[in-house]
Amino acid sequence: MELSDREILHVARLARLRLTADELQPLRQDLNRVLDYVSQLQRLDLDGVEPTLHAANDQAPLREDVEAASLSVAEATKNGPKVAQHMFLVPRIMEGGSDGE
Amino acid sequence: MASKPLWTYEAHTLHDLFCEGAVSAEEIVTSHLARIRAVDASVGAFLYVDEAGAVAEARRQDQWSAAERRERPLSGVPVAVKDNIVTQGMPTTAGSKILGEFVSPYDATVVVKLKQAGAVIIGKTNLDEFAMGSSTEHSALAETRNPWDLSRVPGGSSGGSAAAVAAQLVPLALGSDTGGSIRQPSSYCGIVGMKPTYGRVSRYGLIAFASSLDQIGPMARSIRDARLLYHVIQGADRHDSTALSSAGDRTVSGGPWRIGVPREYFGEGMDAGVRRLTEAALERLRGMGHALVEISLPHTSYAIATYYLIAPAEASSNLSRFDGVRYGMRAEGRDLLTMYEKTRDEGFGAEVKRRILLGTHALSAGYYDAYYLTAQKVRTLIRQDFDKAFQEVDFIVTPTTPDVAFRRGERDDDPIKMYLGDVYTVTANLAGIPGLSMPAGVADGLPVGLQWLAPGLADTALFDAAATLEPQMEPMVWPMGVEA
Repeated sequence: MELSDREILHVARLARLRLTADELQPLRQDLNRVLDYVSQLQRLDLDGVEPTLHAANDQAPLREDVEAASLSVAEATKNGPKVAQHMFLVPRIMEGGSDGE
Repeated sequence: MASKPLWTYEAHTLHDLFCEGAVSAEEIVTSHLARIRAVDASVGAFLYVDEAGAVAEARRQDQWSAAERRERPLSGVPVAVKDNIVTQGMPTTAGSKILGEFVSPYDATVVVKLKQAGAVIIGKTNLDEFAMGSSTEHSALAETRNPWDLSRVPGGSSGGSAAAVAAQLVPLALGSDTGGSIRQPSSYCGIVGMKPTYGRVSRYGLIAFASSLDQIGPMARSIRDARLLYHVIQGADRHDSTALSSAGDRTVSGGPWRIGVPREYFGEGMDAGVRRLTEAALERLRGMGHALVEISLPHTSYAIATYYLIAPAEASSNLSRFDGVRYGMRAEGRDLLTMYEKTRDEGFGAEVKRRILLGTHALSAGYYDAYYLTAQKVRTLIRQDFDKAFQEVDFIVTPTTPDVAFRRGERDDDPIKMYLGDVYTVTANLAGIPGLSMPAGVADGLPVGLQWLAPGLADTALFDAAATLEPQMEPMVWPMGVEA
């Protein structure tokens, strides 16, 4: 199940990564080597084996419903690269999509 | 007053000297800061050193009474924190460019606990970007070198913390371990590092890599010190629902123990010095009256493949939050999607992109069953291997890594070779059990680590067991002349 350049670019789009032509070739090679390596799992008979979603050893605990301090809006937004009136500013969203730059 | 420099002392000794009033916290802290200034230009363990903050905290503690000092188990003790653990008032980078000038508005739970225990937080240590790597060479910000041999890597991803402890820049450091990232650099740097049972330590404020595998743990120059730090940071947390709230410690008898030696961990590809020192440590255990029992963990050979599907899948989801909007850097684009893509392209390094792409692919429509679900089923088999083994034995002892610290640049172009170095450590993360690496000795000038594995929740028993072997081993002679 080798990935083609086209498939890698599709996955990159899903992951919101823009790959340059320089990056694509070595990434294709690395990813295909890793996918080839992990394909060994297909050899195992996994009929009836339940998946382990998590290593948690405990029931999900319930915490008491008590008020506690939380961050102020000013603190919570202070690391935004563009902030105005405690709101995050973003580029326009309508007509979205990559511009192919 | 001490006759040798304070930076050579272990944490519990520094704490005792401070409680007795024999030394001041300021003397302890300034001694370590001087050591950092003398040595860290060659080692590169720290990304950030908070000299002023550490001295101010030390002076504040010097006002405390003996009782106030004594009731805080780490008062007077300098501690370093891996830079994927958030700290108020100090930058947090995760070793990445994408966090930009980020300064957390809150402290991670482990940092809150350190401060409550009187620890003096000295600074933040280097790591592979987002903890993805085994050499600290994937940090986007700095190079860290192994204090035993500056031409070699310190291991990773907690390489900065391991190098800082081994070079005696600090007696204690926090690391995080997703597939061996505490134990492997501890092995390469000759120190003690422990990954607790999943859920023993809160992950609140740990920048998430693979949420079902990540644990924060202690790194130190002795088991006693590592245990001291572990007891400070462990415990339930209202901010992390996976931090165990109800389960008590699992106890193990005082011995003699049945010690499992898994045959799959002694196969080919092991360095001769690692094999020799591991076998010597096992002989010591036998000499102490314990029974060595050959066991099988039959799915070991599938662990790396399982890990390198589950961890990237979880990472691809966790790292989606770095989008140029809420924190960190932003690369401008004319619309939102372009901004996301440019920010992430410029902000993430090659190894992070590789893993995001692998994880996104493994989770994508049409591939989920073949990759992610399959890996989770194999994870069940790996857990069951350990469940079965621990019905027969009390502990399992293995090498921590198949090799010693490798040369910088040696594994740059081969991700599979880099990944295979994690073969003895990833299984504990997949199974959720605790693991500890302690020094087994030095082979040709480079440290070798011995790994102990215990059943889930037997963390305290694990420290106790490893502590019985420590005095039987040759004492470590720490590298002093790391000045370039």
